[in-house]
Amino acid sequence: MIDDQQPLTAVGGTGDPSDPRSTGMAAATTPAVSLRGIRKTFGSHEALRGVDLDLYPGECLGLVGDNAAGKSTLSKIISGTHIPDEGTITLNGKTVRFSGPAEARRGSIEMVFQDLSLCDHIDVVGNLFLGRELTKGPFLDRKRMIEEARKMLDSLEIRIPRLTAKVEKLSGGQRQAIAIARAASFQPKVLIMDEPTSALAVAEVEAVLSLINRVKARGVAVVLITHRLQDLFRVCDRIAVMYEGTKVAERNIAETDLEDLVKLIVGEERH
Amino acid sequence: MTVYTERTKGHPFADFLGEHAQVLSIAFFFLVCIVFFSVMTTTFFSVGNVLNIVRQAAPILVVAIAMTLVILTGGIDLSVGSMVALINAIAAIVLALGVPWPLVIVAMLVLGGVIGLMQGWFVSYQGIPAFIVTLAGLSILRGFALYLTQGYSIPIRDVPGFFFIGRGELFGMPFPAILGILVAIAGFVVISVTKYGRQVVAVGSNLEAARRVGMPAKWIVASVYMVSGFACALAAILISARLGSGSSNAAVGFELQVIAAVVLGGTSLMGGRGTMIGTVLGTLTIAVIGNGLILMHISPFFTQIVTGAIILLAIWLNTRIFTTNFRFGGKKRN
Ligand SMILES: Nc1ncnc2c1ncn2[C@@H]1O[C@H](COP(=O)(O)OP(=O)(O)O)[C@@H](O)[C@H]1O
Ligand SMILES: [Mg+2]
Repeated sequence: MIDDQQPLTAVGGTGDPSDPRSTGMAAATTPAVSLRGIRKTFGSHEALRGVDLDLYPGECLGLVGDNAAGKSTLSKIISGTHIPDEGTITLNGKTVRFSGPAEARRGSIEMVFQDLSLCDHIDVVGNLFLGRELTKGPFLDRKRMIEEARKMLDSLEIRIPRLTAKVEKLSGGQRQAIAIARAASFQPKVLIMDEPTSALAVAEVEAVLSLINRVKARGVAVVLITHRLQDLFRVCDRIAVMYEGTKVAERNIAETDLEDLVKLIVGEERH
Repeated sequence: MTVYTERTKGHPFADFLGEHAQVLSIAFFFLVCIVFFSVMTTTFFSVGNVLNIVRQAAPILVVAIAMTLVILTGGIDLSVGSMVALINAIAAIVLALGVPWPLVIVAMLVLGGVIGLMQGWFVSYQGIPAFIVTLAGLSILRGFALYLTQGYSIPIRDVPGFFFIGRGELFGMPFPAILGILVAIAGFVVISVTKYGRQVVAVGSNLEAARRVGMPAKWIVASVYMVSGFACALAAILISARLGSGSSNAAVGFELQVIAAVVLGGTSLMGGRGTMIGTVLGTLTIAVIGNGLILMHISPFFTQIVTGAIILLAIWLNTRIFTTNFRFGGKKRN
């Protein structure tokens, strides 16, 4: 029913970012990742109907949109979980085709999921090194892992006093911080976070937001999906709005406000 | 600036209690049982009887250690009793054919591992619930044992080296007990300080997360059933060497004792949470109760009732009391 309506901002065809970027944050002008004409259909349901998107180093892109707009699907395509039916993904200037998440990780793309990435019954150190444990022969090298974990957390100013505490004993904010620290420790070029703050208390959200800013300062291209629009203004440089499987607008953070975003998300401005 | 701190910095001793609540409670229960039977009978607390308990508990202990790994992954192996019976029977048959006993032992261990791995393949790579796969295994393996022996007990004769495994003593300790202790130590080391142990816990705690970080999750799940099969073979050898025969009716109800021991030891059936020390204490508790009731001249049938009741009680405690927020006494954390 909206097929015949023209999106606000030109998104099809040209392939250029619609607005000149004015973040001033990073000098880089070549995107870390470029998506062009991405389509994805589940059965007969068109989840994505031709999306173009650029992610730049050291920049945080906010991805917003109503439920079922296709945000998660788009992020999963970037992280290799879904394979697009059509369209190209360009990574550092080279066209790539990910066969799965493992390959995306090799291309330095990391993703943090809401609550799926930690093992509750394993301690903080163990979770930070999950899947790439430091070993001496068949044995875990605990001492070295604790030292490295301490460095990992210190560099992001995450304070967790007892690294040998089981993760289940920690608060939601601490858990999310550990998940982000782990993703960041892989030295990713792109870090995607799908609603990292949706289950957190207010103070914890603050901590996670400043953590995102620190990750960004390392030159990582961050994608933040969130329903908390006010958070976007704290960390994002640019915001892309999705509506029914298309990107309907892209705004530099200086050129938009809450009201504008809400209108774009619900699609009111089109009348 | 917002700063992360632990919710409250608890007293280290309180932390210790909180983290080891389950092991401490089973240790306490174990001591209560010992004191109870020592007071109630004159024979319980004697060297002879204690060695007897340990000897009898050895096969359960060996399999319970492996079962702990299985349950840590969130699975279960109901086929262990049948597996013990089958390998026990085959060992007797092969020994009767005159095959050298060291060779028989190696062959049985390999056989146990292979059968376990077959079950693991169905569970892990085919996604069939462990409960179903190993329930089928329980029936199939016992069926094979019955078929091979036609229900008769097959005697093992003139292999003193083999008998030593079940009846011998080393440094005043029954040899099965020594084996059991070695297996328990191995289990403890594997689960607490090896990469494999970490992988087992990770897979049981959050399979999806383990897969995402690139762990060979399917292989890890399958492998614990192989370890279980291997342990069953060891237990079967201990039993046949002690009894001097192989029978398809060996180890009836064995799976129940093993699972009771593991669950009593505080390992969660949901996976991820469990300790080897808990399993050792759970096994000893079950063995002590069985032995003590007999010494008190209570009907041996009563043991079954008690074992079942203990399973229920342990699972109840496990699910209702030892949740994440459980602490020993003291005030609540905020
Ligand atoms: N694996 C899937 N199979 C079928 N449909 C899916 C799948 N993933 C997403 N969808 C559908 O695609 C649409 C977009 O979903 P999603 O990307 O999760 O939206 P958002 O994250 O913006 O809320 C929804 O209508 C959803 O039902
Ligand atoms: Mg979503």
